[in-house]
Amino acid sequence: MDLEHTFTVPVAVDAAWAEFQDIGSIAECFPGAQVTSVEDDSFSGSVKVKLGPISLVYNGSGTFTEKDDANHRFVVDAKGKDRRGNGTAGATVTLTMTGTGESTDVNVHTDLAITGKPAQFGRGVMQDVSDKLLGQFVGCLEQRFNQGGGGGAAAVEAPAPVEPTVESTSSHEVPSPPVAESTAAPADETPASVAPAPPPPAATPRPATPPTASGSGDALDLGKTVLPVLAKSYWKQAVVVLIVIIVVIWLIAR
Amino acid sequence: MIPAQFDYVAPSTLEEALAALGEHGDDAKIIAGGQSLLPVLRMRLNAPELVIDLGRIDSLRGVRDDGDALVIGAMTTHSDVVTDSLVREHALLLSKAAAEVADNQIRHRGTFGGSVAHADPAGDMGSAALAMDAEFVIAGAGGTRTVPATDFFVDLFETAIGEDEILTEIRVPKKTGWGAHYEKFVRVAHQWPIVAVAATVNGSGGTISEARVALTNMGSTPLRASATESALAGASATEDGVRAAADAAAEGTSPPSDLNGSAEYRWHLATVLTRRAVLKAADGA
Amino acid sequence: MTAVDDRPTLSPEIGRDRRRKEDQRLITGRTRWTDNLALPGMLHMAIVRSPYAHARITSIDLEAADKAINIYDVFDGKKLQDSMGVMINAWPITPDQKAPTHYPLAVDRVTFAGEAVAVVVARSAAEARDAAELVDIEYEVLPPVLDIKEALKDEVLAHPDLGTNKSALWQFDSAAAGTGGNVDEAIEKARSDGIVIERELIQQRLIPAFMEPRSVVVDPVGEQITMWTATQIPHIVKFALAATTGVPESKIRVIAPDVGGGFGGKLALTPEEWITFAVARHIGKPIKFTETRSESMATGHHGRAQVQHITLAAEKDGTVTGLKVHLDADLGSYVALLGGGTPVLGAFMFNAIYKFPAYQFNCQTVFTNRTWTDAYRGAGRPEATFAIERVMDDLAAELGVDPLEIREKNWIKNTEFPFTTVSGLQYDTGNYEVATEKAKAAFGYDELRAEQKERRDRGDRVQLGIGVSTFTEMCGLAPSRILGALSYGAGGWEHAEIRMLATGKVEVVIGVSPHGQGHETAFSQIVADRLGVPFEDVEVLHGDTQVSARGLDTYGSRSLVLGGEAVVRAADKVIEKAKVVAAHLMEANVDDVQFANGRYTVAGTDQGIGIAEVALATFTAHNFPEGFEPNIDSEATFDAVTFSFPHGTHLCATEVDTETGQVKLRKYVCVDDIGTVINPLIATGQMHGGLVQGISQALWEEAVHDEQGNLVSGSFVDYLLPTAADLINFDVGHAVNPSTTNSLGTKGVGEAGTIASTPAVVNSVVDAVRHRGVTDIVMPLTPERVWTALQGSGGGAATVEAAEPHFEGQEDNR
Repeated sequence: MDLEHTFTVPVAVDAAWAEFQDIGSIAECFPGAQVTSVEDDSFSGSVKVKLGPISLVYNGSGTFTEKDDANHRFVVDAKGKDRRGNGTAGATVTLTMTGTGESTDVNVHTDLAITGKPAQFGRGVMQDVSDKLLGQFVGCLEQRFNQGGGGGAAAVEAPAPVEPTVESTSSHEVPSPPVAESTAAPADETPASVAPAPPPPAATPRPATPPTASGSGDALDLGKTVLPVLAKSYWKQAVVVLIVIIVVIWLIAR
Repeated sequence: MIPAQFDYVAPSTLEEALAALGEHGDDAKIIAGGQSLLPVLRMRLNAPELVIDLGRIDSLRGVRDDGDALVIGAMTTHSDVVTDSLVREHALLLSKAAAEVADNQIRHRGTFGGSVAHADPAGDMGSAALAMDAEFVIAGAGGTRTVPATDFFVDLFETAIGEDEILTEIRVPKKTGWGAHYEKFVRVAHQWPIVAVAATVNGSGGTISEARVALTNMGSTPLRASATESALAGASATEDGVRAAADAAAEGTSPPSDLNGSAEYRWHLATVLTRRAVLKAADGA
Repeated sequence: MTAVDDRPTLSPEIGRDRRRKEDQRLITGRTRWTDNLALPGMLHMAIVRSPYAHARITSIDLEAADKAINIYDVFDGKKLQDSMGVMINAWPITPDQKAPTHYPLAVDRVTFAGEAVAVVVARSAAEARDAAELVDIEYEVLPPVLDIKEALKDEVLAHPDLGTNKSALWQFDSAAAGTGGNVDEAIEKARSDGIVIERELIQQRLIPAFMEPRSVVVDPVGEQITMWTATQIPHIVKFALAATTGVPESKIRVIAPDVGGGFGGKLALTPEEWITFAVARHIGKPIKFTETRSESMATGHHGRAQVQHITLAAEKDGTVTGLKVHLDADLGSYVALLGGGTPVLGAFMFNAIYKFPAYQFNCQTVFTNRTWTDAYRGAGRPEATFAIERVMDDLAAELGVDPLEIREKNWIKNTEFPFTTVSGLQYDTGNYEVATEKAKAAFGYDELRAEQKERRDRGDRVQLGIGVSTFTEMCGLAPSRILGALSYGAGGWEHAEIRMLATGKVEVVIGVSPHGQGHETAFSQIVADRLGVPFEDVEVLHGDTQVSARGLDTYGSRSLVLGGEAVVRAADKVIEKAKVVAAHLMEANVDDVQFANGRYTVAGTDQGIGIAEVALATFTAHNFPEGFEPNIDSEATFDAVTFSFPHGTHLCATEVDTETGQVKLRKYVCVDDIGTVINPLIATGQMHGGLVQGISQALWEEAVHDEQGNLVSGSFVDYLLPTAADLINFDVGHAVNPSTTNSLGTKGVGEAGTIASTPAVVNSVVDAVRHRGVTDIVMPLTPERVWTALQGSGGGAATVEAAEPHFEGQEDNR
């Protein structure tokens, strides 16, 4: 699902860009995140997603897959596995900064992919969960910009609690007539027909509230460090002899 | 499905329950019926070390008259809320909403307190409690505190109940003689509501004097339709009389989109169902 | 009846509404389901499944799981590759059908979310589940293709090695087959001076949702390997295990104990059965695997899943002249047991009860990275019936006539039977006129039409719709020669055996395999009547290949039509054998002995002997005819010459709340010709259950995967099944024209309700809002879809074209 968030910070674009060169501090902004190691453009760690009845811990890693200083754009690719084998979560976060004189518009586009049991939880609840977590994440990013720092190596220890506030392109936090809102179709899939929509990727982050233990990592499993996994692919060309035999048997049996 | 292993305690007093919760904190989960917790445990979307069952604490169960309010124990089952004569007399909306919770088996296991503490925005009892201006009595190690409904529901699955606290009772100001209706829109009867509207109305002679309206599953928490409520004051209890007020019900909401309906459709439903709920409530006022 | 017969008279059993004798144990649970079995030393298995719809397996780390508490062993696909066999497709619909190798446990690549990748064997089920969490698998994620139309583009491949997503194209053309004319010519002619109805219809993906999740226990201890499995097809499982694993068939015993529902969902060879078999052989101890409901929904095969393109040609007066069908059928990620054969079964049913002079059917099967599809109640025939009954309504609307009128104009008249259809089948009996008249009367058709008009005129918020479905189906799957012609890998005969016990009781061994239908009751009734023994004295045995050695199991409304006939023939053989013994005992000439009501008598005398007495005399064999073996037990195998063709008229009234789109059932009447009814109670029960399943496809059910291939309707929170609270009373009637294909005259009832009801409901809802320009709504008819269709209608104006848009931008068959 695609989620889109924007916010504006009161500093010039170069200054804003300079704030976010450290991947560890970006990762720390994710609610429940515990960064256990940072190496160049990669990090590894865990994220504890705790929401009402659900409590999941994803172990994983992330890396800058793109960092374009000239255009003030970076892409972070992060992925993790649930500690209980319930599935995986992957996020591609694309952050783009556009300078408008003394302030900077920041656009955060997140392509989130959740697999396994959480995706089956029901009623699209994980989508609401994702909206909420992403809202907190972007709120934290915004706050860091506004604080003019706070990233860097220090964040590896224990990030300060954040008070994220989020504005989103499709947020409904400002009361508005439903009819008007309804035309603001979410993201890239516009159900234009009676036909069935899979849960549309409605980017409707709710007004974020102060997370109670965001990033404090108190319940995190510090012992579990997952090293970045190289995407090693070896495709065994299994020529299947067995099937031939079986087909023969099958034909004879007929 | 088999949950991960956990320890289980079923204390007979609130103090013991609070002590167990204080000791285990985040690693403990409270079970107050289990209609929502057990599926999560069985799907292993949570694996607490300890499950604290409140089912044997008798003091948390039952309805009592407390002057201008009813006090409903958190562990009172939906089924008891449906049939309790005090509730039917002074807080009819709660009885009507509880009657719509899931199916009969679940209503006999699930509890009012468990439902609101779970804070599923699609839960039926949250909006009914909100419309009734209920207050939530929360006990912790240091004593109890009372939280109004407007502050109780914080966000998706989040309430004002702290990690070391337990919801003990719900205080409901009496609305004796008010009509009430819970209009629940589902595709199949046992389903979570796609949208539901809790309405309770006071009035006479075909005119609504006061109304309380709250929405289920129209956002991350139960929502009060305040604009609708004020517009209803003095309205005549007819289709046309309440139409404009009901049309304002969805204002400012951000409902989810899922397999059962888009946000746009839910906005539409909220207005239609509000009109129907208010009219049916007024019919009994 | 002779004067000496002092037994109480047995009233006829056939036609009697016996309560089902098996229900006491099935309903109270006082029986053994597979998951109840506990064998000495039995271990439990848990399966680790792919979270991805399409990925390469780059590594599997089993070490942590192997070290967990009470873990016996762990396996991945490589470890079992040589011993686990493969999952086979029994029905390659074309000689060049493309089919990837389907290992029970993935070896290199996973092809849908939920595919089995590793297994953990532990001393308890809980420990197995705990340790399964510790299996660490790395994947390289590949792009999945999830949608039928996307798959047809061959841009993203479900199986890159195949080079295409297209598996097979199966065609039937009436001109080529000599059963009818050229359909393209008929359509061309209709384009210039007739009516052409062209529609794209969606058959959404469904989940069979049987009550008992699948469970399997394999005991390799002893000379034979015994498998208990919650299946519809123990005999086919046994055969296929032998055929694919190299274990001699004589060393395999498969038992389907009491099985809690199937609906086609257990007409399957499952990877779980094969894995359990392989693991048990490997370890040498009994192994049990019982799936969770989540596993069942995500990995048990799904059904339907087609995009249907229908072109109907008619003359200006509504006489149909041609029908062309193109199906794009989603196989899912593998070709299942029947695979493309399921949609192909529809080939013979799209023409239905109508006299199309020209017909063409094309079925393109296509791979996606979704759960594989296979038979689901009706299997191919509900899809066909849905399409034809939907477009017949559209034809009626085009002409502005009553939908029953257009049907009657085109259906086979009752004087025209036997009738050979344009798809080459010969319908033996039927009477569509009578069924329709009876249904209309019970329904109050004219009164409801009047109410509908009144509501329309009044502009009522709640509109009334009337839906019609005059369906037929082919049952009794299937004549072996026809299966052979269709390249199916087995026969379609059925077998039964009757054992006459010394104490006068009768054991009936059947080759069909009940899983909730009431076979024990119905077959007891048949045998009680045939042999003249009390109903209570008949015991029906089934489901164990060591008891019931021959059989082809239960699906396709075949049990009564084929299995029942085998029972009749076996009983008749018993009667003939026992007659020789009876004649000997009565010292009469065998030609003078008659059999009636369980008693042999000698014509013109008062001599008589009961069949139970003959059975006892056979047991003792003290006084037996010379050279006659002391055995009156008999068996019979029946292979039908053709199918049977139940039909019926279903009428459904719905109320549509135009403000919310909510649909409520108002009235449902069906009058079916299912041939001779053995037990009206069971028949009605089958109709009720079938109706609910068909109605449920129309209104509630849909298997939905998200853009990554996760099944998001993976629990009953989102996969909506109705309860009694959502349904109404059904008025079920019969109009009997006995079939000529079997001696009892039965036609089959298991699938009728499901096949007929779906279009009746959709036609009804569309009928309620057609005046507002709606011509179709995609199933399931959610309130939102109905409401949205109404929004597109622009109020009361009849803008037919405006109602089509739900096909535009239709991403897939969700």
